[in-house]
Amino acid sequence: MSEQHVELSPERAGRPLAPTGARSRTLRAYGIEIVRTYGIVFAFAVLVAAVASQNSVFISHTNLLNISGQWAPAGVMAAGLTFVLIAGGIDLSIGANFNLCAVVAAAIGQHHDPGLAFLAAMALGTGIGIVNALIVTITGIDSFIATLGVSFALTSVSQILTGNQAYYVERNDFLSLGTGSWHTVPYTGMVMAGTFLLLGLVLARGVYGQKIYAVGGNREASRLAGLRVEALYGSTFVLTGFCCGLAGVLSASQLGSAQYNIDPGILFDVVTMVVLGGTSLLGGYGAMWRTVIGWAFIASIGNAFNILNVNSNYQNLVKGLVLIGALAIDVYVRRLARAGKV
Amino acid sequence: MAAGSPECPAAVRAVGIFKTFAGVQALRGVDLELRSGEVHGLVGENGAGKSTLAKIISGAYNPDAGLLWINGRLLGGGHIRAHAEAGVAMVYQEPKLVAGLSAAENVFLGKTMRRGPFVARREARRRLRELADVVGIDIDPAAKAGDLTLAKQRMLDVARALDSGADILIMDEPSAALGPLERDSLYRTVERLRERQVTILYISHDLDEVFRLSNRISVMRDGTLVATRPAKEWTPRSLVEAMLGRDFVVPTRHKVGRTDTAAEILRVEGLTVPGALERVDLTLRRGEVLGIAGLVGSGRSTLLRALAGAEPKAAGRLVVEGRSVPWPHSVQRSRAYGIGFSPEDRRRYGLVLGLSSAVNVSLTNLGAVASGSFVRSHKLIRYATRLMTPLAFSPGRLRVEAGFLSGGNQQKLVVGRTLGGGPKILLLDEPTAGIDVGAKAEMFGIIDRLATEGMSVLFASSELEEVVEISDRILVLGRGRSIGVLDGEQCTVREILELLFGVERGEAA
Repeated sequence: MSEQHVELSPERAGRPLAPTGARSRTLRAYGIEIVRTYGIVFAFAVLVAAVASQNSVFISHTNLLNISGQWAPAGVMAAGLTFVLIAGGIDLSIGANFNLCAVVAAAIGQHHDPGLAFLAAMALGTGIGIVNALIVTITGIDSFIATLGVSFALTSVSQILTGNQAYYVERNDFLSLGTGSWHTVPYTGMVMAGTFLLLGLVLARGVYGQKIYAVGGNREASRLAGLRVEALYGSTFVLTGFCCGLAGVLSASQLGSAQYNIDPGILFDVVTMVVLGGTSLLGGYGAMWRTVIGWAFIASIGNAFNILNVNSNYQNLVKGLVLIGALAIDVYVRRLARAGKV
Repeated sequence: MAAGSPECPAAVRAVGIFKTFAGVQALRGVDLELRSGEVHGLVGENGAGKSTLAKIISGAYNPDAGLLWINGRLLGGGHIRAHAEAGVAMVYQEPKLVAGLSAAENVFLGKTMRRGPFVARREARRRLRELADVVGIDIDPAAKAGDLTLAKQRMLDVARALDSGADILIMDEPSAALGPLERDSLYRTVERLRERQVTILYISHDLDEVFRLSNRISVMRDGTLVATRPAKEWTPRSLVEAMLGRDFVVPTRHKVGRTDTAAEILRVEGLTVPGALERVDLTLRRGEVLGIAGLVGSGRSTLLRALAGAEPKAAGRLVVEGRSVPWPHSVQRSRAYGIGFSPEDRRRYGLVLGLSSAVNVSLTNLGAVASGSFVRSHKLIRYATRLMTPLAFSPGRLRVEAGFLSGGNQQKLVVGRTLGGGPKILLLDEPTAGIDVGAKAEMFGIIDRLATEGMSVLFASSELEEVVEISDRILVLGRGRSIGVLDGEQCTVREILELLFGVERGEAA
């Protein structure tokens, strides 16, 4: 029977209900709740403190801006992917989509106006998102498999288009977006921050965002309540596709070139950012600020390896351990919270 | 008889059990004794502590204080395995079965019989037949557990418990969501188990069955055990009074014939949903409550779902307010006709448990609480308060996640949301399942008031008494067909059962 769930535990969102009696237990419940909600923030603070104590360059103005610019494409994609995960799906085609969009931007940008190149790349990314959406909603194939298939196909298309060569763009107007800055703040970092802010607002306060939480939290109930569940679910893939296009544009403009394997690790970096932040792979739970922390975490690890001059072969080992460690703690704390609740 | 040691002849003896959850006292000093071989009824309102007590006896929870003997053994609590070894097993509302495995495989899960390296299938099936005989059910050992009816799944759970040597069974709402026939087979099982000296703690909201089955009945209220008496010494009234701790008026049948002259608002002709409903007709007048009665599998829910646009294969003629309209195949279309749907199983089909109550109420109508594309908190709360206040839902709970509310309050959220769409026709599927007596009375009050204000209601429930109590007319469904419409004085449980059993006999012949 469900009756014991009634108002016995602090709210998930970290706004605990008024405690009644048994102070020590309640304090413990608060503690669990705080660790669960903000554990990733603590962990990130520890990471920053540890790296900064070794080399204070890490927290210098220049380095932080540097990180924001360099890791902007991944951040933009992570912002989109957050929607897909909260809606209860996964998109494994983001890496390949991003790459193809960068290739197309560079290919067109070689000879045409950069505005045209950028628009074309973003349209392509959105189009690929629409294809993903149609596959998962119409055929009902699980998004994990569907987008994995699309990912293979897109990588192949990138290889065919480039003939395994890189496209180089030397026009300054093409490069200005990726390399330019305003008062030392890189444009790419600003684009990413804007994406996080806008999509974060839409997710937390928007009608659309609430519907996405509902669809991911209980699909059938949402359908019976009259939400267009399939359209909402599919739309998250379209949004993510657009973000991949934007990320591809940023990357092509940063590098001034694009080939079929710009950053093979970016798919898992992005998925890790979202999941590390605490957004659930099962849907219905998560937040944009979590993804921002996850982004900062992964970007910092990558940057710290450069700054501390550690062999970069260890980088993925550390990321893997951090991911498993963070999720293990999360699972453990959730179990504590449940034990206290039921 | 496994009645335990001589100094403690009781199968279960609990003394001074206390349990607190995150600051809320769920149990405050409960004493309970189960005599060996008795069926002991346990009743009380939701939140009285019945389930908590059950879980402490089964070892799922560790009491904060108190002593617990099971078959004469003093147990520390909090270890399901130790309690199981002492002879306790709990039968859950949702049977813990592996849907893809056969009935036999489920019963012997974890102790698979082998012949060499192979599973001894034949042996397992023979044992299951023996157990099924004890339990008194007819189960094909090879049938997949997921394909069995809920009743059979629960029996299978019982069989599994018996196979592990349990002689104390805790049954928590075992009859919930079962139809009358399935209930009868459950009652027979309980009787057979009693004959075999199995001790049963029988927790239920249904007083009739508690009277029918129990040797003794205990009543809980606010975390204490109010009284334990032999069943003969209780009357339904004294039991309800003990549960509520106040005088309680048993609700009588609501007024009949309030709609005799009212206009017809809905007409359904030849509704067919392949595999579930066949050529069902019904009419509904303004301000009328039409009850839908039938056994599990009769198509009650399918009928409401089809009207709500949630059955893509539904076909039939639909007339809404005199206008013939295409059958709705989406929830949005159905809402546009003025039909509001409150689905069964609120936790599964009704609510997004992780979202706040206010958002759940507004889910269908988020545009109304937004400025532009963004939800405004004050509009959200105002909208939800406006809908929920008439349902006696405290506005302070609107910011709480829906998952933390009681069953009655969760049900109000679903009904409140449905009303927010401004429907003329309200479809209520099992709105009173698993909620306590007080909340049930409240829900009936709400339905009655809505009908008086002109709302037309289709009310489906597996509780025949409830259907009789609230409905102006009753549509009886049997195996997907309409087998009769009862009106006026005909609206009695007896009439419904006669219709239902008539069909059963006819089909068997």
